[in-house]
Amino acid sequence: MKTKALILGLCACGIAIIPSLLGEGYLIQVLNLAILNAIVVLGLNFVTGFTGQINFGQAAFFGLGAYATGIATLAGAPWLAALFLSGLVAAIASLALGVPTLRLRSYYLAMTTIGFGEIVRLVLIHWEEVTGGTSGLRAIPPISAFGFRVESQMASYYVLVFALALAILFALRIRNSSFGRAMIATRDSEVAAELSGVNTIRVKVLALMIGAIYAGLAGCFFASTIHYISPDSFTNRQAVLLLTMLIIGGTGSIWGAVAGAIGLTMLPEAFRFLDQWYLVLYGSAVIAVISFAPGGLASAIPNVVTRLKAAR
Amino acid sequence: MLLQAKGIVKRFGGVSALDGVDLNVPQGIIQAVIGPNGSGKTTLINSLSGTYVPDEGSIQLNGAELVGARPHKIAQQGLARTFQNIRLFGTLSVLDNVKVAAQRHTPVTLLDVMLKTGAHKLAERETEERARAALDLVGLGTRALDRANALPYAQQRLLEIARAIAAEPLMLLLDEPAAGMTMTEALALLEIIQNLRKRIGITVLLVEHNVRLVMGISDRIAVLDFGRKIAEGTPSEIQKDPAVIAAYLGRRRAHA
Amino acid sequence: MGQLVINGLALGSIYAIVALGLLLIFNTVQIVNFAQGQLLMLGAFLGITGAVTHELPIGFAWIVTLVAMMALGLVFMAIVYFPLRGKPPFLIILTTVAMGIVLENLALIIWGPLPVSLPSPLTGRPLRFSGVVLSMHQIVIFSTTAFILLAQWLFLTRTRFGIMMQATSQDLQTARLVGIRVNRTIAVAFALGSALAGLGGLLVAPIFLAEPTMGGILGLKAFVVSVIGGFGSLPGAVIAGLSLGLIETFGARYISSDYRDAYAFVIMIIVLCVWPRGLFGEKSSERV
Ligand SMILES: Nc1ncnc2c1ncn2[C@@H]1O[C@H](COP(=O)(O)OP(=O)(O)OP(=O)(O)O)[C@@H](O)[C@H]1O
Ligand SMILES: [Mg+2]
Repeated sequence: MKTKALILGLCACGIAIIPSLLGEGYLIQVLNLAILNAIVVLGLNFVTGFTGQINFGQAAFFGLGAYATGIATLAGAPWLAALFLSGLVAAIASLALGVPTLRLRSYYLAMTTIGFGEIVRLVLIHWEEVTGGTSGLRAIPPISAFGFRVESQMASYYVLVFALALAILFALRIRNSSFGRAMIATRDSEVAAELSGVNTIRVKVLALMIGAIYAGLAGCFFASTIHYISPDSFTNRQAVLLLTMLIIGGTGSIWGAVAGAIGLTMLPEAFRFLDQWYLVLYGSAVIAVISFAPGGLASAIPNVVTRLKAAR
Repeated sequence: MLLQAKGIVKRFGGVSALDGVDLNVPQGIIQAVIGPNGSGKTTLINSLSGTYVPDEGSIQLNGAELVGARPHKIAQQGLARTFQNIRLFGTLSVLDNVKVAAQRHTPVTLLDVMLKTGAHKLAERETEERARAALDLVGLGTRALDRANALPYAQQRLLEIARAIAAEPLMLLLDEPAAGMTMTEALALLEIIQNLRKRIGITVLLVEHNVRLVMGISDRIAVLDFGRKIAEGTPSEIQKDPAVIAAYLGRRRAHA
Repeated sequence: MGQLVINGLALGSIYAIVALGLLLIFNTVQIVNFAQGQLLMLGAFLGITGAVTHELPIGFAWIVTLVAMMALGLVFMAIVYFPLRGKPPFLIILTTVAMGIVLENLALIIWGPLPVSLPSPLTGRPLRFSGVVLSMHQIVIFSTTAFILLAQWLFLTRTRFGIMMQATSQDLQTARLVGIRVNRTIAVAFALGSALAGLGGLLVAPIFLAEPTMGGILGLKAFVVSVIGGFGSLPGAVIAGLSLGLIETFGARYISSDYRDAYAFVIMIIVLCVWPRGLFGEKSSERV
């Protein structure tokens, strides 16, 4: 118990001093992006990780949340109202996508969620009067609530860390509740789950909706910390990246999802010199992980640890 | 009658796996359904539990019609089952497997969960009590925290039974619960089933193709062959029934 | 009007060919290849490398391309099929998606981001009759499609190997038991599936130009076509492919050309909501 508190304390200190090490600038902005991705991937983990339903629509939910906030705050709405709106828009969109399609099996579901992502992207591009078309929305106002305005990337960092902490806490609580058990039961055996009294369709829709709300709220934070959004950030390619973050981190593992998202958002910065080769290696790495460690790092690390211990 | 099934027909392509089966099960008995391989026993359980929707016929549990309802509704009406080919929630712990079925008695809202309210804690406690009680009934109490798919085969079958009874059903459908068990394990299982009836007064529908196994424990036996019920009665009546003997012997010859 | 029909059918024919390649693989091993579009893109670029860069005669370039695509299909099989047998579908889906990322970026490295054009094997003045123009390349498209349909039908129903392939698709275990060399059948499926994608690329490049990122949307449309056609049904895919070509062409003309690429998905979502297994899909229930 004491060691646990100590470790937590050390982590908190580490997290608190990071910004002063990086300084205001590009790196902290990337870190902020990484935290936002972690929230989005945590959301994806409900649907794909716990419930076992593939979802290529997560980037679109993220985008809907970002545009909801962008449009609302540029029109003068208070930030808190925009935050609420982002969650609501994503939730409604998830119902529209989920209710008709979650009865479908793997490949069909994959296709309909890709289709959904593609449709959202096309609407963002072509509904120019509202979305600004391909050039997107600029000068989106920063986070401001309860009399505080969060202007700098450094200040945003602390807000985002707090949001991520809440996202992790809620994910852990849901995982260890009747909802989490019903989700995993649905993934492991849909037939047995139904016959244990679980309404599996409702569980899938709920998982998609919780995931979408995570993405929508993260979208709001994205718009108001980066201040600029365009359809490019919410493509199907982005949806694929989010899924690979989850797979590499470990499908169904909350900490794996966070680690995967943060790691794979930061990594390209370290490997900039690779240029186009980076994505070639990235794709190959995903294939390798799926083939050799399908549980992702979350399962590979304990395996390696036990093996090392056994070897001693 | 607790369960009344009338004229159930289930076809796959051209073949009728069930061809007009009637079955009436009174409250509190152990009813066996036997029959050679492929005679339609599993299809009967699937039709009763809503896994398959029968093409014709009606099924009533305590007077409520089940045909056409989604399986989880049927489960909530009070029917629980196990599977011939085991279907556990492999990555969940043994205890969590049982909780999935037990938790419907203690619903909570998502908000309760996220805020960890008293209602949520209470619900979790009650779910856990129910689940542990069910595990104790089948003798798996000591393995509560193991992963379900780490259990040996016979215990996986017991876990399926624990999960089924944790829902506190009116009626329990067991599809070849002794399949793949050694004789000792099978006998222990029979004792557990008899115990269940004594302790919680549950009605059991037991599907087996091993005739000898069910003779000692069941109150009534129905015999299926090619999707039809060819006989029904007490174990001693069934033992003497010429149609039953012919069905089993005929198959055996055909197999040899 | 007549012109739109011709253009729509030409586009639809290409969708159908790519979808047929997808189905050849799916019917044999139940894997949906989400990199089919990137294979198509490779086909286009291999054709360009042969015919434009090395100035080979175009017919020869086509043959080289198709052979190379078959070899690539086998590599593909070695990477996505064998290590993944028995894994959950979403992991298989993601592996093929990752394959697509790898191929697309390799193409960017090799050929650069700029669009390139590939000449058609038939050049000459377009035919005109009563106001409708039929370009030489459209003639190529239609005759290739007709040839492929006929060849595939003959192959699957008239040759020993094709019949074995159909048997394999119905039941892999039993096929193995009755002595069909399943692995060889699977290899042929991947090789031909990849070649059909390449053929799609050779046919598309003269119309739309080729660029490394062209594969994504074309691959997706091939799935849409397969899904609407009932995943597994060859005639279904052909009808769905031609219909999609027509719908897109007419939709772009009469509704909105901005949303041209969205029609496919809207139709697919509607079809799946009404018939969860596709228009021509078989009804089958999972065994419990
Ligand atoms: N999903 C299905 N699709 C097609 N045919 C099926 C399906 N389920 C069962 N059948 C067929 O229905 C018939 C009855 O099968 P069922 O599984 O009910 O027999 P059973 O009595 O349980 O046999 P066993 O003792 O082997 O378990 C068999 O001929 C079987 O092949
Ligand atoms: Mg059976």
